[in-house]
Amino acid sequence: MDSVAPVKMLTVLGAICLVAIAAVIGWAREPRQYRADPPVSAALDQLRLMPDGIGGTSPEVYFAMGKPYESTGFDLSQGKRLYSWFGCSQCHGDGRGGKGPSFIDGWWLYGPSMVSIVASIRNGRPHGMPAFKDKMTSDQIWQLAGYVRSMGAYSASVVAPSRNDDKTSRPAENRAPAAILFDEGPIPVHPKQGPSP
Amino acid sequence: MMRDRDTQEPLDVDLDDAELAAKLEKTWASRPGFWGAIATVDHKVIARRYVVTAFVFLILGGLLAMAMRLQLSRPEACFIGPDRYNQIFTMHGSNMMFLFAVPVMEAMAVYLVPLMVGTRNIAFPRLNAFSYWIFLFGGLLLWLSFALDTGPDVGWFAYVPLSGPQYAPGKRADLWAQMITFTELAALAVAVEIVVTVFKQRAPGMSLDRIPVLVWAMLVMSFLVIMAMPAIMVASSTLILDRLVGTQFYNPALGGDALLWQHLFWFFGHPEVYIIFLPAVGMVSTILPSFVGRPLFGYLLLVMALIATGVLSFGLWVHHMFVVGLPRVGESFFTASSMAIAVPAGVQIFCWLATLWAGRPVFRTPLLFVLGFIVTFVIGGLTGVMVASVPLDSQVHDTYFVVAHFHYVLIGGAVFPLIGAVYFWFPKMTGRMMSERLGRWAFGLIFTGFHLTFFPMHILGLWGMPRRVYTYQPELPWAGLNLFISLSSVILAAGFLVFFIDALRSWKNGLPAGPNPWKASTLEWATSSPPPAYNFRRIPVVGSRDPLWSEAADLPVAAGMRTHRRELLVTSMVEALPQARESSPSDSVWPFWTAIATAIMLIWSIFSPWAVVWGSIPIAVALIGWFWPKGTPEDES
Repeated sequence: MDSVAPVKMLTVLGAICLVAIAAVIGWAREPRQYRADPPVSAALDQLRLMPDGIGGTSPEVYFAMGKPYESTGFDLSQGKRLYSWFGCSQCHGDGRGGKGPSFIDGWWLYGPSMVSIVASIRNGRPHGMPAFKDKMTSDQIWQLAGYVRSMGAYSASVVAPSRNDDKTSRPAENRAPAAILFDEGPIPVHPKQGPSP
Repeated sequence: MMRDRDTQEPLDVDLDDAELAAKLEKTWASRPGFWGAIATVDHKVIARRYVVTAFVFLILGGLLAMAMRLQLSRPEACFIGPDRYNQIFTMHGSNMMFLFAVPVMEAMAVYLVPLMVGTRNIAFPRLNAFSYWIFLFGGLLLWLSFALDTGPDVGWFAYVPLSGPQYAPGKRADLWAQMITFTELAALAVAVEIVVTVFKQRAPGMSLDRIPVLVWAMLVMSFLVIMAMPAIMVASSTLILDRLVGTQFYNPALGGDALLWQHLFWFFGHPEVYIIFLPAVGMVSTILPSFVGRPLFGYLLLVMALIATGVLSFGLWVHHMFVVGLPRVGESFFTASSMAIAVPAGVQIFCWLATLWAGRPVFRTPLLFVLGFIVTFVIGGLTGVMVASVPLDSQVHDTYFVVAHFHYVLIGGAVFPLIGAVYFWFPKMTGRMMSERLGRWAFGLIFTGFHLTFFPMHILGLWGMPRRVYTYQPELPWAGLNLFISLSSVILAAGFLVFFIDALRSWKNGLPAGPNPWKASTLEWATSSPPPAYNFRRIPVVGSRDPLWSEAADLPVAAGMRTHRRELLVTSMVEALPQARESSPSDSVWPFWTAIATAIMLIWSIFSPWAVVWGSIPIAVALIGWFWPKGTPEDES
């Protein structure tokens, strides 16, 4: 008797576990994409921007992929790497701005949507923001945009990058620096940011 | 003898055998049904679960190994990509070390130690139940994360900075580190139980010099666990802190130290090898005498060698770090201490050889595995002495030579004795014999398959093939041997398949074993197979090192135990003189709920530091339920 009960229990437990595992696997897999397929990459370039270049909608393929560039730890940390590799800190500092605008003051000159940030990096903006479309691949641009957004988030995502093995000047992205260092920002528009978009 | 004044319940001396058995069964048996099974604190039931779970993890880890061999069978194969391969070798190592080798050895201890020292349950039986659930949840966490494509990919040693916040994105490394916390918590719990059981619950008369060698080995192993595991728990917790909260333990730019990780890891990691190996020494020393028909040669020497190995094992962790750039003097010291461990290992080997030499060996399956162990472990030990020297280690570091070496010592040194031990104690655990014919097949396939698989890896290593590569170019001269190794690994896997088929078949249909099928000498064979919930009808009294050989006709017993409550005999530490009758905790579902609450807190804390605050509330509730006073007297002299 007492040798049968544990076996039965193990079977029941095992069955429950298997079902739970199957459900979770179907729902929450987090595969890494090291290189976007060329057709996906091409589709990612089809930004649907408003005529003034501010706001709009991301390409359909981005939603079909499950918005990975904002929601996976790997893409966000790749974005963090690209941020330093492509010298973004030259103008934007550690995210708190410098010659260029800050990312954590709550003020997005061209709106906070993913597609605007991608457009800014890809095509450049007036008053000094260069275009990177010939220097970076499409998915790199999206990774960088996702990272820039994560810097300015007021509640940290669990997948946001952590500190680097380096001297640090502000809390890492996984601790929501924008919420800690909140600064209402220049309203109306800071003179350095230009008279109009 | 004192009679209980306050109760009408009879003592064991008042009852005849059948009546006594019925009364003890009523007191000690777990309730039937699902919740009865969850609540049980019987060390045999929990150990059986532990063993089965650990062997399931062995199968899963073995499948990963086969996947790696498939990928490496030819150059530039495309079965597995680099990212998946990183996850697979990390999972294989972590799984085999943390979810198979250590837990299975501790599980054998949980099963055998209380029986071998002649007591009715392990010390702290509820902690024991808690330990199993924590181990199970830790294993599920790791495998579930692997299935989710978030399996750790940083190697089973997870060196920073590769596993640190900058270079290991996502939660992969955190899941690894938290799995460590789960398994080490489980291991520490078991270690404490074993130490207390061995020191305070031995049968009357079992003085320290009469303890079976297996029990000595488990005792030394438990002390190693207690001293080594905290290092890795500190390491894994600080790694999670670095990654989650942004502490700087491993950040050299702000006063941290990347090398600190390696020291903490290997301060645990080297004793870990002996945590796995010493129980195997105990198993071999216990199996041998039964098949050669004479007591073990050099009991005192073997016990001293066990203790010496245990002490020395804390003084040689740096030999894993020879190429990291440490001072020369340090390297020389650790070369010397690494070679010194060959002395107690040699003593053990010669004691076994002398036992074999002086006896009349009967070549049954358990003995075959013991012989396979001696051959394989000696080869692994010899390459161990080789890589203990800095110049040679600098050459072969991170090559397949090292892979070959540690598989020789781990599979040869621990898995062979373990399978021998399963063949040996399976009759005790299930009441049925395993098949001798299939056992011989299993041994033949595993032994040949093992050597054909792992010996060529020495050569591959000397030819320069590095570890942890997911493929290699066709121009390199490694393709032939790699294909040979991959084909040989199929033989090895077939051997394990035969073993598992044998175990499953025999569980239901094996021949009945009887109490002592091997005519062995230790106390676990003095009770029925499988043992009843109360282990021994009457507590045995021990007068020699091999009680069942010297007093086989009628083993003396101690009397005066009460039967209406779970009661054990507490004895003195050195002489094992009876000191007190102590109550043993009854079944409880609270260890299960505590384990669930702990698991929630630990997993949550990967994602938010606040989990430690809010998650501790359910743990506190569960612990209050666990320790709620029942108003029964604890013990009396």
